[in-house]
Amino acid sequence: MPIRAALRSLLMLDRKLLFVSGKGGVGKSAVTASLAIVAARRGLRVLVIGMTEAMGISGHFSVESVGYAARRTRPGIELLAIERDAALDEYIRLQLRVPRPAPTKYLTRALGVLAETAPGVREIITIGKPIYETWRGNHDLVIVDAAPLGQLFSYLNAPRTIADLVPAGGIQHQALQMAETLRDPACSGLVLVTTPEELPTLETSEALSHLAATGPIDLVQLVANRVLAPLEGIDMEMISLPDGPHRAAAVLHASLHAEQQRWLAELPTDTSLPYLFGIRTAGEVTEHLAHIWDAML
Amino acid sequence: MTAAVVVTGGGGVGKTTISAALAAAGAGAGMRTLVVTVDPAKRLAAALGVAGLGNRPTEVAELPNLAAAMLDVTASWEAIVHRHAEPAVGTRLLANPFFRAIADRFPAAQAYAAGEQLAEHIESHLWDLVVVDTPPAGGGIDFYTAPGRMRDVIGGRLLRWLTGANLPGRRALYKVTARPALKLADAVLGGPLLEEMADFLLDLRTLHDGISRRSRAIEQHFAEAGSLVVTTTQPSPMRETLRFFEELPGKIGPPDFVVFNKQLPAAWNGATPLRGAEISSEQRTALRDNLVRWAEEAHRQRDVRQDFITRYGSTPIIIPWREQTPTSVAELVDLIPDVATVLARLATS
Repeated sequence: MPIRAALRSLLMLDRKLLFVSGKGGVGKSAVTASLAIVAARRGLRVLVIGMTEAMGISGHFSVESVGYAARRTRPGIELLAIERDAALDEYIRLQLRVPRPAPTKYLTRALGVLAETAPGVREIITIGKPIYETWRGNHDLVIVDAAPLGQLFSYLNAPRTIADLVPAGGIQHQALQMAETLRDPACSGLVLVTTPEELPTLETSEALSHLAATGPIDLVQLVANRVLAPLEGIDMEMISLPDGPHRAAAVLHASLHAEQQRWLAELPTDTSLPYLFGIRTAGEVTEHLAHIWDAML
Repeated sequence: MTAAVVVTGGGGVGKTTISAALAAAGAGAGMRTLVVTVDPAKRLAAALGVAGLGNRPTEVAELPNLAAAMLDVTASWEAIVHRHAEPAVGTRLLANPFFRAIADRFPAAQAYAAGEQLAEHIESHLWDLVVVDTPPAGGGIDFYTAPGRMRDVIGGRLLRWLTGANLPGRRALYKVTARPALKLADAVLGGPLLEEMADFLLDLRTLHDGISRRSRAIEQHFAEAGSLVVTTTQPSPMRETLRFFEELPGKIGPPDFVVFNKQLPAAWNGATPLRGAEISSEQRTALRDNLVRWAEEAHRQRDVRQDFITRYGSTPIIIPWREQTPTSVAELVDLIPDVATVLARLATS
């Protein structure tokens, strides 16, 4: 591993708030879960938050379901998933310091409509939760299985959007503080996950330019997932093999590897996680990746 | 009579490729075929000639009978609004930031736009086969529930909390916005926003009858269309796929076709002896180790497929893992034999 990547890896778990994102299907929930396990093994108190959907992260921790209340899933790790209404209620009470009014349900429903339609409101409520948990300081590391890359920036930019939208006052102040926390590289960081294929590479590349231009958060690490090792000791062009599974498997591996290398060359990746052969469950993926991180970090 | 197929599946499973291959198969069989793609890889889009094009179908030059279009959500919603609203209201709605937020970012709105395209192309009677690839954000099961959710949002849920059951006049709405709860909303969001929102809700409500009727027509098309789920044997896409069997609304029923993409030959066996090759023992070892790894993967895939068949009794279509995703019409045509069974079953149903 290059020195820069090693340094970044070392520093990654020193942040208090990590967002893990990537195009759908690249394995961001697996990376989130495995990093959480590694951090917990190092004695950190970790909170894992499923930001936009709970299914990915619950599968990778092998738990049936995840709710809004944090629940201990294994030593050192608590897990929760953001539910819009509950998050909204909490935002009103805690972030805006409005005392809980009598008909909370009615109010939450009312504001829920706004959350669905007003620009930036749903996003700030969603991203407000991990930031709030970071401020609260009950955990050493809050790690977020974030929205997929296509939606990520509408969340990361939401505090700024809201700050521009509302008049000066409590809410604006609060939103600016959130933006400040996200931008602070000593506190927060983004881990981007990609796979060496066309669409994830292009989408990641766009995200990198966007990050460089708008900078709502510091990029801590760019992880390439499901990377095939080269087929050591065999040059397919140099040897002739009879037809059969040995040849077919070697041809498949060699050409997939060549295609992957082509896409890897397009991105400044810090870390490569290997393609895992013969894995059956999401939980197994998590354990294997945690093992690999352990050896690397 | 137009046959339609809705193609869904999780991220990264090859949904767009399978949609295009199925369309190529239809065209190859002499059916006038349209494929509506959502977010194709650039090279595939270029091959189909849809790069930079919108909702309007364009002939694919290299394959007779095949046309392709690319979903343009914004343009679709502009058309939807103009169809269902009076001109002045329509213009106001399209300029309203709330409306733009819904059309751009609400996943159900994206999926609804794709459903609307499907309905229009079926009703145009220009095609024998329409294949619709679904948006990633509203993908999977959410695609099918999008018309209902749009009806909900536009129809009343937004207004009911403000007004009770009835549709109030503009003045009455402003009166209810003086309620204490809304004072609080006001504090959260700032005054002008709330006023804009009240305007927006009233304008939006005028779309309700139109969208309500239309969304039911779209649901009817969904019910009649073939549903095809693309998956791989990886844990996450499999979980998505199983949801289709557990949660799809009764009217749609379980998927008609399940396609397992990127599959390895089940017969691969790491213990197969390597004969007839004149190579060094190092190379021999490397080849054997490589086969052992891939055979293990092949067996896992076979077990996942077998579990699936045992549980749901549905016979999946299996597509071999290719070294490269197709980037030209010629490569798409190579995939036709793999999806031919879908076409055959569509023809008989």
